[in-house]
Amino acid sequence: MILRWVDERLGMASWARSGLRKIFPDHWSFLLGEVALFCLVVLVLTGVFLTLFYVPDAALVEYDGPYAPLVGQEVSRAYASVLELSFEVKAGLVMRQVHHWAALVFVAAIVLHVMRVFFTGAFRRPREINWLVGIGLLLLALAMGITGYSLPDDLLSGTGLRVIYSVVIGIPLVGPYLGFLLFGGEFPTETIISRLFVFHIMLLPALLIGGVLVHLAILWRQKHTQFRVPGATERTVVGRPFWPSQVFKSTGLMLLTAAVLALMGGLLQINPVWTYGPFDATTVSAPAQPDWYVGWLDGALRLFPPIEFTLLGITIPSVFIPGVVIPGIAFAIMTLWPFIEPRLAGDREEHHVLDRPYDNALRASVGVAGLLAFVVLTIAGGNDVVALIFNVPVEAMTNILRVAFVAVPIVGFWVTWRICRELQRRTDAPDPRRPVVLRRTASGGFEEGGHER
Amino acid sequence: MRTARSLAAFLLALTALLALAVGLASATHTSGPAAGHPAAQVSDPTAMGAELYAQSCASCHGTDGAGTEYGPSLLGVGAASVDFQLSTGRMPFAGQPASQAKRKPVAFSADQIESLVAHVVSLAGEAPAGPAIPTVTTSDALLARGHEIFAGSCAPCHGATGNGGAVGGGALAPPLDQATTVQTVEAMLVGPGQMPVFALGEEDQNAVATYVDWLQDAPTPGGFSIGGIGPVPEGFVAWVVGMGLLLVVVVLAGRSWQRPDPDPDR
Amino acid sequence: MSAERLISALLAASMAASLALVGVYVLDLGGAPLEGSLLAVALGGVGAAIVVWAVTLMHAPPEVEERHEMPSPPDARGAAAEALDLEAVTRRRFLVRMLAGAGGLLAAALALPAFSLGPQPGRELFETGWRAGSRVVGGDGEPIRPDDLLEGAVRTVFPEGAVGRPDSPAMLIRLRPSDLHLPEDRQGRAYEGCVAYSKICTHAGCPVGLYRAEDRALICPCHQSTFDVTRGAVPVFGPAARRLPQLGLAIDADGYLVADADFDEPVGPSFWNLTHQGEPE
Repeated sequence: MILRWVDERLGMASWARSGLRKIFPDHWSFLLGEVALFCLVVLVLTGVFLTLFYVPDAALVEYDGPYAPLVGQEVSRAYASVLELSFEVKAGLVMRQVHHWAALVFVAAIVLHVMRVFFTGAFRRPREINWLVGIGLLLLALAMGITGYSLPDDLLSGTGLRVIYSVVIGIPLVGPYLGFLLFGGEFPTETIISRLFVFHIMLLPALLIGGVLVHLAILWRQKHTQFRVPGATERTVVGRPFWPSQVFKSTGLMLLTAAVLALMGGLLQINPVWTYGPFDATTVSAPAQPDWYVGWLDGALRLFPPIEFTLLGITIPSVFIPGVVIPGIAFAIMTLWPFIEPRLAGDREEHHVLDRPYDNALRASVGVAGLLAFVVLTIAGGNDVVALIFNVPVEAMTNILRVAFVAVPIVGFWVTWRICRELQRRTDAPDPRRPVVLRRTASGGFEEGGHER
Repeated sequence: MRTARSLAAFLLALTALLALAVGLASATHTSGPAAGHPAAQVSDPTAMGAELYAQSCASCHGTDGAGTEYGPSLLGVGAASVDFQLSTGRMPFAGQPASQAKRKPVAFSADQIESLVAHVVSLAGEAPAGPAIPTVTTSDALLARGHEIFAGSCAPCHGATGNGGAVGGGALAPPLDQATTVQTVEAMLVGPGQMPVFALGEEDQNAVATYVDWLQDAPTPGGFSIGGIGPVPEGFVAWVVGMGLLLVVVVLAGRSWQRPDPDPDR
Repeated sequence: MSAERLISALLAASMAASLALVGVYVLDLGGAPLEGSLLAVALGGVGAAIVVWAVTLMHAPPEVEERHEMPSPPDARGAAAEALDLEAVTRRRFLVRMLAGAGGLLAAALALPAFSLGPQPGRELFETGWRAGSRVVGGDGEPIRPDDLLEGAVRTVFPEGAVGRPDSPAMLIRLRPSDLHLPEDRQGRAYEGCVAYSKICTHAGCPVGLYRAEDRALICPCHQSTFDVTRGAVPVFGPAARRLPQLGLAIDADGYLVADADFDEPVGPSFWNLTHQGEPE
């Protein structure tokens, strides 16, 4: 009856019918994007709660809360509000921890999702636009993470902000101006905390959520890709309808994702800012790392040799190449790959059936090489922690990783190439044009009746 | 029903893991004291010191304490230095030559250490004496001051939670979970090995000792502290535990479609 | 166990956990481990129940659907192009150019408030709080005599009156004078074996807070840049490419350490016009 009321005003019955019956292919690897989406839901819900308690103010106050080692110390109002949330607000700490774990898992899920899309060639025509939107979402997720973990204004995240500031002012010609604009003056400024807050709760989420909606809308319009299963061709999609199957499964998955994050947020302490202490630009604690998804950037800064030179009277600082140039090139290749690959592979056709990872040796090898470089840099970002845990001298770790950054991706490329070629030789690619018998059911859908050789 | 059963089995295992984890999380962490060896009864303490020195120290530090190619001179190092090295078990040295001395089970009883300290100090003769063994009194009122000094002077090497850190050059700033209050202040006064000297006033010394002592039983209100060394283990856990659990869930939920239930009305 | 029983059990567990959560909250029994675990059971119970329900009780064999052609049919495209009728606008070439010019300049004008976000760098990156004659004080504000420092000691110091100023921390280290081998352009900056270097790393600006006394090396924890204190803080390992700026030390009439001038080069990470020290901004 309610539906009739709505339909009298919006007239969407036929759209609803086709939407509810829309077929989505089934494969567990297609759920990775959903996991990322559900992490985002958890982030937004817990984030709203946190926003109601956090105070984005860098002005100094004297701490007088229950955490004894800081009583009487000068801390920023922002830092004090985070401690208050953690120690004096019921359920405050668990919400904060769930939020932070969700952020770490969010980016991990995105990375796995991007890997799945890349290695199966799902970005090929007509899905290049969605790839671009997706890379944008990845960058927004990184920016959300960095702005978010800097909000407590603690010693660890503040040190990270210092490094970001230094990389920005290191940009030739415009660096100092840009740095002073973004931060509102020479580091550290009081205003950066409130600016990060604005980005973190308003500007970036608006772009992120808008981007997610566009991402899903394009997916809806183009229909999902699928693996070569019986019945699937470039002209058909085989799977189960949106309602009730997919909705139920996705809802269940969302609750299970939230459950895993809640478990972690309760049992595993994360980002205990009270132990790091408030930010003080004249001191630092070790080890000093950003959250894992920025580790690769820190690793690049650690591994790059001490090279600083002048070009036409302009100093090129030692952080510029590892901090700006190398990431810029890497992201450019990643972003433009759907336009690079067709030129290299000579294939500009529409594709709705996915490749197996070894079907395209060049793509797989480039992907593995890039992934290995990323992993080496991420490990390098924690080289002093690795040195501590495995009792290896730090300098040795650094030198090993310097060599590894060059050698491992090259070896990985070559090994992947050989494996792909071998697997291609061995397997019989099933002919997607192999005839399939379809039977029409009483309800109007199709079902498989068997195969004909 | 296979998929339902495997899902149930997974959830049961998860619940059991959960119960175990909650149980462990509520247990408090305590660190045990370093083991000591029982004292040998010797009637004359100063003779004991000389005897022990001749047995255990002279081969590297020289019979007169002036040092050899294997060990530095001990003349004028002060009682605090000797007491620190012996009471933390760093001396007698065991390990690769020229590597860092590490805390290990103490080789001497308290009486023996006292006699060795007296002997080594006496070797210096008329030369200016190094720092004496400090008297340390901790106080809750000094906790905040201790944290402030620790954050500025100690955390850069030893970590914000005193869990230690690699400081390069093959050196390790050791974890502070077993340091007694006296050892803490002794280390600051002496600057053993690569550690610099931090000669603070007595009140500041007591403050740092208070805070280091507090750190050893510091509460972890958020659950397991995962090593207390920051985002690196946190990122590792996010992938292995977080993404790991979710992958299991995703594979179980996603794969279950492959074999639709032949009898949906059961 | 039948599917229905399993689903009911899962939902019952979830209900129990939710009720327990209410109790925990109201009675203030909480703590993150308890709250998080109960929340996980509450969420996970319902989630698993729904998934098991969808998988086992919903009859859902695979179905096939046709994909529609991605590109629109040519006549539809033609109709769309006709509706768009750009030609009606682009015909007026001069006006279109004027519009483009106005639009561009308007965009530039609208972007102007962005420059209010921060000041011009000016000379800020070239100056710190140190002046000629600034007394060297510790974090407590107390001035320091050379003999206050034992050999092998290290202290973070500031100019008097500017304790805590972010661009001015320095590491004061006491060495044996015979250990020092300062480079030519830094001769005379030590006083009785005391040397002072800027604490801000020349790589990416983190405080160089670690000191290895035996190696006489200052280390930055962020990226492990290592500086040799005996040779003018020249980098010996890691990504830093520039020496730490050194403060010239002397003593005043009362015997306290003072700086004889500000640092002679910018502290912290390099930037494009680093060497334009003497030029007006």
